[in-house]
Amino acid sequence: MFTSLFQLNTKTVVTIGIGSALYGILGLLGFPIAPNTFIKPAVALLVIFGALFGPVVGFLIGFIGHLLTDLISGWGIWWGWVLSSGITGLFMGLVFTNKGFSVNDGQVKGRHLVFLAISGLIGIIIAVSLAGALDVWLMSEPADKVVLQVIGASVANVIVLGALGIPAVLGLTKWNRRNTNLKLDV
Amino acid sequence: MSAILSFQDFSFRYKHVSNPTLKKINLDIQAGEMILIAGPSGSGKSTLAHCINGLIPFSYPGEITGELFIRGVAPQPKHLSDISRVVGTILQDQDGQFVGLTVGEDVAFAFENEGIPLEQMKIEVKHALNMVDMLPWIDRSPHECSGGQKQRVSLAGILSMSCDVLLFDEPLANLDPASAQQAMALIVEIGQRTGKTVIIIEHRIEDVLRQPIDRMVIMDQGSIQAIGTPDELLATSILRDVGLREPLYVEALKHLQPEWKPTDRLSNIRHILSPSLTQALHNWCRPVPVTTDADHKSTVLSLENVRFAYNHGPEILQGITFDLHEGEIVSILGNNGAGKSTLAHLITGMYTPTNGDITLNGKSIRHWSIKKRGQPIGYVMQNPNQMITQQLVTEEVALGLKMKGTDLKQIDEKVREVLETCGLYPYRNWPISALSYGQKKRVTVAAILALEPQVIILDEPTAGQDYRHYTEFMQFIHSLSQQGIAFLLITHDLHLAMEYSDRAIVLSQGRIIADDKVTRILTDSSVIKQANLAEPSLSTLARQAQLDPERLLTHFIQHVRQQRGRLTSLATDQSTTLTGENT
Amino acid sequence: MSRMGTLYIPNDTFFHRLDGSIKLLLFLVWTIVTFLFLDMRIFVWMLVLGIILITIAKIPFRAIRLIVWMMITFNLLNSVFILLITPAYGTELTGSATPVLQMGAIGTIYLETIHFVLTLSLKYLTLLPITFIFIYTTHPSLFACSLNRIGVPYKIAYALNIAFRYIPDIQTEIKHILHSQQARGMGFQTGEAPLLQRIRNVTSLVIPLITSSLQRIEVVSNAMELRGFGKHPRRTWYHATPLQAVDFVVAALSILALGAAIFLKVKLSLPLWYPF
Ligand SMILES: Nc1ncnc2c1ncn2[C@@H]1O[C@H](COP(=O)(O)OP(=O)(O)OP(=O)(O)O)[C@@H](O)[C@H]1O
Ligand SMILES: Nc1ncnc2c1ncn2[C@@H]1O[C@H](COP(=O)(O)OP(=O)(O)OP(=O)(O)O)[C@@H](O)[C@H]1O
Ligand SMILES: [Mg+2]
Ligand SMILES: [Mg+2]
Repeated sequence: MFTSLFQLNTKTVVTIGIGSALYGILGLLGFPIAPNTFIKPAVALLVIFGALFGPVVGFLIGFIGHLLTDLISGWGIWWGWVLSSGITGLFMGLVFTNKGFSVNDGQVKGRHLVFLAISGLIGIIIAVSLAGALDVWLMSEPADKVVLQVIGASVANVIVLGALGIPAVLGLTKWNRRNTNLKLDV
Repeated sequence: MSAILSFQDFSFRYKHVSNPTLKKINLDIQAGEMILIAGPSGSGKSTLAHCINGLIPFSYPGEITGELFIRGVAPQPKHLSDISRVVGTILQDQDGQFVGLTVGEDVAFAFENEGIPLEQMKIEVKHALNMVDMLPWIDRSPHECSGGQKQRVSLAGILSMSCDVLLFDEPLANLDPASAQQAMALIVEIGQRTGKTVIIIEHRIEDVLRQPIDRMVIMDQGSIQAIGTPDELLATSILRDVGLREPLYVEALKHLQPEWKPTDRLSNIRHILSPSLTQALHNWCRPVPVTTDADHKSTVLSLENVRFAYNHGPEILQGITFDLHEGEIVSILGNNGAGKSTLAHLITGMYTPTNGDITLNGKSIRHWSIKKRGQPIGYVMQNPNQMITQQLVTEEVALGLKMKGTDLKQIDEKVREVLETCGLYPYRNWPISALSYGQKKRVTVAAILALEPQVIILDEPTAGQDYRHYTEFMQFIHSLSQQGIAFLLITHDLHLAMEYSDRAIVLSQGRIIADDKVTRILTDSSVIKQANLAEPSLSTLARQAQLDPERLLTHFIQHVRQQRGRLTSLATDQSTTLTGENT
Repeated sequence: MSRMGTLYIPNDTFFHRLDGSIKLLLFLVWTIVTFLFLDMRIFVWMLVLGIILITIAKIPFRAIRLIVWMMITFNLLNSVFILLITPAYGTELTGSATPVLQMGAIGTIYLETIHFVLTLSLKYLTLLPITFIFIYTTHPSLFACSLNRIGVPYKIAYALNIAFRYIPDIQTEIKHILHSQQARGMGFQTGEAPLLQRIRNVTSLVIPLITSSLQRIEVVSNAMELRGFGKHPRRTWYHATPLQAVDFVVAALSILALGAAIFLKVKLSLPLWYPF
């Protein structure tokens, strides 16, 4: 299992590249819900790509993608948040290692979705907290203020996970389940 | 003699499809041979190509039965690159295979993977680009290349690879006529010089047959219908039977003399005319038909001195002025990169002209949004993948009608009608991702035809289409034009332009260099040269019979148009019996 | 954005010629030094140096104007935010307390905190010049190639190359999906449809974008595989340029600077430099 997770075949390389580009562009999009806190719909991409391709690809797409967002926008690289996107992607991909889980073959059970929701939630909290901690250590931001931001960002990401990410994974699964046994209908 | 590729009772079924797509293929290809594979859209040509280059089974899962031998051994490759050492491929999707950030880098891609040293690589890249006339573009990015220019780049990329078999999936689809001939000549020359086996999949049979092709393979519905030399197959009616178009001169000659033998060497236009045939040709063209339908219809769309440049780059369009009248079908011709697609983008509002005005029914639409223009102006883009946004075939076609607020029953009827005319009705519940390239293109055509706007712009509607399918929807387009809808056909297919359009506008270097009847344009050698068009084979024939080419062309078109009603009803009959067999 | 779709501005300056991996090293050292300190004196000098470097790299001001303004706005907001939430934070860092403003429920704002937010803002701004130099003078392919040279596996480096290659494609794709939907009657702009419908229309673009990206992944990986990608454990790079003497000099200087910074940090060992 693990060798296959880490093996970089051409398709994985391309997936990382194109996934990052997508995350990089859509990452520019954010709707403010509180000062300095944004709902970032692009997080749903991490859920989808994680579920489709696993934790390693999820991590790299989050990491490289966020790096690209920071580079395209030109406002400088925020390493803490770059790493945080990577970790989010990694946790979203954990569900991929579950037995019997395959979006491509339309095989997703209820327990898989529960797993995705829980691992996603944990991942978001860990990732955002880490980013906050790095802001405190590296940038010397005041901890009290950062805690507020961490809570805000976690809530925002969890909303995206629940409202966009999981439904999208479900939608793709259903879609793939339908497209088997194609026949010409005269 | 040993076959380099040998299919024996080979069948393939895509994982998610119930019935096999390739059925009992038996085919031997000898080393050094030049092969043309032709067949209707969706007949399994690309699938066969994927079996040869290893994408099946490495990338597309499915079930294989039977045997495929490469150089006499059934390969048990562990990795696709084991096969790509032997077979070099150009895929049908020209956008997808441009992987480099610049033209030069893309051509270098295979060298990089081989680990070729830098100095040698630079030389080889320049050499390859020079062969396809793209050297000045070496540092450009793919976004600055037109469709045809991208195709040349991929040609350069593959010509420099060191494989024994070169496989081309529709290498000419987006090339202008002159470039298509050059590309074909180049492919054949390289094949002959290096002794490589060349396999070409193409719908543009006439362009391919200008070169010495060893054998043709005709496919239909997943099986091989005929294999033979061009002379053998042209003498029969097999091309027409499976719904393909014969070279125009062959069509004309067959009208004069229905029976032909392989020994008549129909593939060789220069030695085909006997004195009696020449006489027959003269007789056929005797009564000069004068039909002028010059009744003045009202102008629908009008462009006035339209100028445009992409973000401060060079001016792509330098003062375009023309009128499009109600019910008119006008072709837009011109070399790759002349600015045809750009013109369509301006009319539909995706870009704004830097100068000049566009009016619709006498009103300027300069400040209209894309959405507002979308009501009266329909646009089928050059690349179908850029238009398709829905999952299912029916959903895609119904989308525009739904947005218009048409009621459901009417939507169903309309969708059914256009899907039938576009030959897609059996596929209505398929996901679009499982369709062949030509089928996808037809989906986008259907989606716009369903809307019946006032003006329809079709960018390369027949690229990747076979004759029968495009005749069906072109007939439909013709009937819509009778109802007053005006059409702009952007095309490299001169036959299409000749047969269906009243008028053609020729673009070259940002200007209109001709606006006239198609037959006249195609006999004007200076326009042909400037806009990279090509003289039709019929003109060559006419010259040999010492006939005025324009007269023969006009006559032939009239003949074809007369026949068309009969022909299409025949074609639909055939296709229903064929699909009947299929079930 | 340039025609490459990335921010790279072609030119021929010292920084354009500098190797990508060296620029990355410089970038990292600069960032680490910024992270180490909370000292206005150092940031001011680094900013001055940064502005000199930007001039050497001939980065036009119009290219960075917008971002500079954005950063200034961000810093203002961030500062206000800190002053409102932790108005006494500065006193914890310096050990002195100089009240400036009494603000009822929020508390007292101290001079130390104002000094802190100024220093923090400078810290953020200090990171900017080197970012500009890095992104505006580094050709993406050259960068991928030099990453590979310093030991990043070529497949990861190439993934980065692909990301750069497809950013403009994906932007075009989004535009085309948007346009073709608009042309068929979907409203996205104000006045074209009711708000709720517009939101629904925008979300309806997500699925085609995902499916078309998955499709693109398929096509591109097929095309790459057919041209032998991943065949060998090593590959060469069309854009490769050999390392020059200056590259080594800049690398040595960067390492030296890092060493000096660490030395200073240990010697100063102050959380916040505060002169008063
Ligand atoms: N990935 C796929 N999964 C399932 N079915 C497929 C897939 N690709 C193609 N098909 C089906 O296989 C048949 C043959 O497709 P193929 O692409 O080989 O046609 P083609 O002869 O190359 O057509 P065209 O001239 O339009 O390119 C079509 O009916 C198509 O719907
Ligand atoms: N987005 C763009 N940015 C910059 N230049 C472009 C862009 N799109 C096209 N061009 C350039 O504009 C010119 C015209 O391109 P266009 O696509 O209109 O050609 P075309 O006539 O449709 O060619 P083809 O027959 O090959 O499709 C080309 O030289 C091309 O390089
Ligand atoms: Mg095909
Ligand atoms: Mg075009």
